[in-house]
Amino acid sequence: MNKMKINANIIDSNDFARLATHVKESGRYLLGIAASDERLKGSGFKIRYFFGGKNLIDEYSVSLPAGDGSFQSISKICPAAKMYEREINDLFGLTPLGHPDLRPLMLYPENWDFSVHPLRKDYNNVIPEFRKYGDYKYKEVSGEGIFEVLVGPVHAGIIEPGHFRFSLAGEPVLQLEIRHFWKHKGIEKICEGKNFNEALNLVSKVSGDNNVNIAASYLEAVENLLNIEIPERAKHIRVILAELERIWNYVRDIAWIFMDIGFALPAQNLFALQEELMRLNKSLTGSRFMFNALIPSGVSVDFDSSKLFTIDNIIKKVEKAIKESEAFILNSSTVLDRLEFTGKINKKTAEELSLCGISARASGLFRDSRVEFPYLIYDKFNLKPALLESGDVFARTILRIKEILFSAKIVTELLFNLPEGKIITSYENTAEPYKYAVGNAETPRGNAFFYIMADGDGKIFRLKYIDPSFRIWPSIQYGVLGDIIADFPLINKSLNLSYSGNDM
Amino acid sequence: MSFLSKLLFKNKTQDIVSGNSDSILIKGDELRQSVDRIFGRSLFVRLVDTGSCNACENELSALSNPYYDLERFGIKFVASPKHADVIIVTGCLARNMLNPLLKTFENVPEPKFVITAGDCPETGGPFKDSYAVCGPVSKYLKVAMHIKGCPPEPEAIISGFLNFMDIVKISF
Ligand code: SF4
Repeated sequence: MNKMKINANIIDSNDFARLATHVKESGRYLLGIAASDERLKGSGFKIRYFFGGKNLIDEYSVSLPAGDGSFQSISKICPAAKMYEREINDLFGLTPLGHPDLRPLMLYPENWDFSVHPLRKDYNNVIPEFRKYGDYKYKEVSGEGIFEVLVGPVHAGIIEPGHFRFSLAGEPVLQLEIRHFWKHKGIEKICEGKNFNEALNLVSKVSGDNNVNIAASYLEAVENLLNIEIPERAKHIRVILAELERIWNYVRDIAWIFMDIGFALPAQNLFALQEELMRLNKSLTGSRFMFNALIPSGVSVDFDSSKLFTIDNIIKKVEKAIKESEAFILNSSTVLDRLEFTGKINKKTAEELSLCGISARASGLFRDSRVEFPYLIYDKFNLKPALLESGDVFARTILRIKEILFSAKIVTELLFNLPEGKIITSYENTAEPYKYAVGNAETPRGNAFFYIMADGDGKIFRLKYIDPSFRIWPSIQYGVLGDIIADFPLINKSLNLSYSGNDM
Repeated sequence: MSFLSKLLFKNKTQDIVSGNSDSILIKGDELRQSVDRIFGRSLFVRLVDTGSCNACENELSALSNPYYDLERFGIKFVASPKHADVIIVTGCLARNMLNPLLKTFENVPEPKFVITAGDCPETGGPFKDSYAVCGPVSKYLKVAMHIKGCPPEPEAIISGFLNFMDIVKISF
């Protein structure tokens, strides 16, 4: 059941812009902003600001009367709001007044008519003709000896597309400008009108490698909305699967870090381990990514004792391999040379950009949804995720190692204390019209936040998902400053953000 | 250095093949022979992700891990389209990726082939009804081969390459 307390406030846009400073100063941070078109209901457009604090979410909801196409930007007070406001400008055509940068975000002027805003309820589903409507202006850096290196959207490796523009003076990076949303798939829109089961399939494909944790967050919201209390056994299995996902993700991430500093041997050792973990996933759930293992009101897979035994065995193997990797890192000056002081994101930046997950915890900022907004059975553990201060690639690598060991402990503990009983329960599929709920979960990249509003027929009226990558991407632009361009791939891998989850 | 030397004396690929995935080796042998014959011992592949959920790329990356080690069969993922024989397309073809895809394809020297991996590029997958998607890929490029799956597992991709060889054999 929903343990999360939401403290809801209704407020005028101008008043909120004034209040935002106070909210921020009180130590709360921006979890996300969700707009929705509620004109049919007679309440105009709504913009809901969610702020996190310990065990509490503060919601400020601002109504824009129909006909009013603008609201006060809070980006200057709260830089983390910048991207959300640009997004609302694109998808709803509502202008954040006073916003420093209103270039289109996901609707590219190279192919989209900017007078069409697809998330408005009166959007007629006519897709604008594919032609050039305007230009996208990149920032300019000028001065003697300054040159630019443009990378992407199609990259050299097997990775997702994104465009990076480096302005350099000699080797050090003076400025990095990132343009994303090449992969914008319009997932939020296609979720509208779907029932909760159908939408689950879509949200699992927001960012495939994090699908279990993202589904956990989505289901948290859905189950809050429909007042479903899932069986204890299902809760335990969800946590086991979520932690297994964290483990395989981090094993892969550390492997890539080794790869990028030229240590192929330990890298391949971990890639092999990743493969074993993905095969374990398949043997447990039928899918190497554990797709569809979590379902509304429970889970679709149950464990018998032989499965528990298999998990236990592989976890022991992971623990051993990871401790060896850690020793290797700490004892090798060449490794430390590359990792330490590289890609530093300082605490102030992390705070201003409202980072989450490993990226926040490596910069001394305590953000972990498992502790802040306990869901499932996370409040049963006395979780104390590690915190490092240095904000560099080293900190992010070591934190991943600690997290793997930590997740391994959680899994082992649960394996031997799995309550008997059902793994699914029956439920009523409808909620009152316009009722909404939120969900949180800690994915391997950070906080996954869902805001879901129901219509009266058991379908989704509005779904907003905020991927941790959406929050963290802008920070790389600060992390690379002063580093040499050759370190960029390493810095990027140390954050390992999702393009798909960001672009949605 | 003991950690490294310990790893050095463990031959992962061998262990694995004799374990539970004999099929990889059998397919791999055939594949090796076809690549030798048709592409002069090396098939260079360039990936373009046009809007995936990233699971497909994960599986393509997995092909390089010690279990599958795709390069031993002569297939290599390359950094530039100018080096490639084949482009492998993943993702639902988001509108914003149409031009980058076509430009990448333009830069591949002849003869060139397109393979798609996953249901997304073939049908749009779960995203097909979106305003932001303009796929399927076959609307714009001639596709030699679709590898099905959501996502296709590494073995399915290896089989896909093998089928692709059969198709190319006929046209050569
Ligand atoms: S085919 Fe499936 S797994 Fe592959 S990118 Fe599309 S949704 Fe993801």
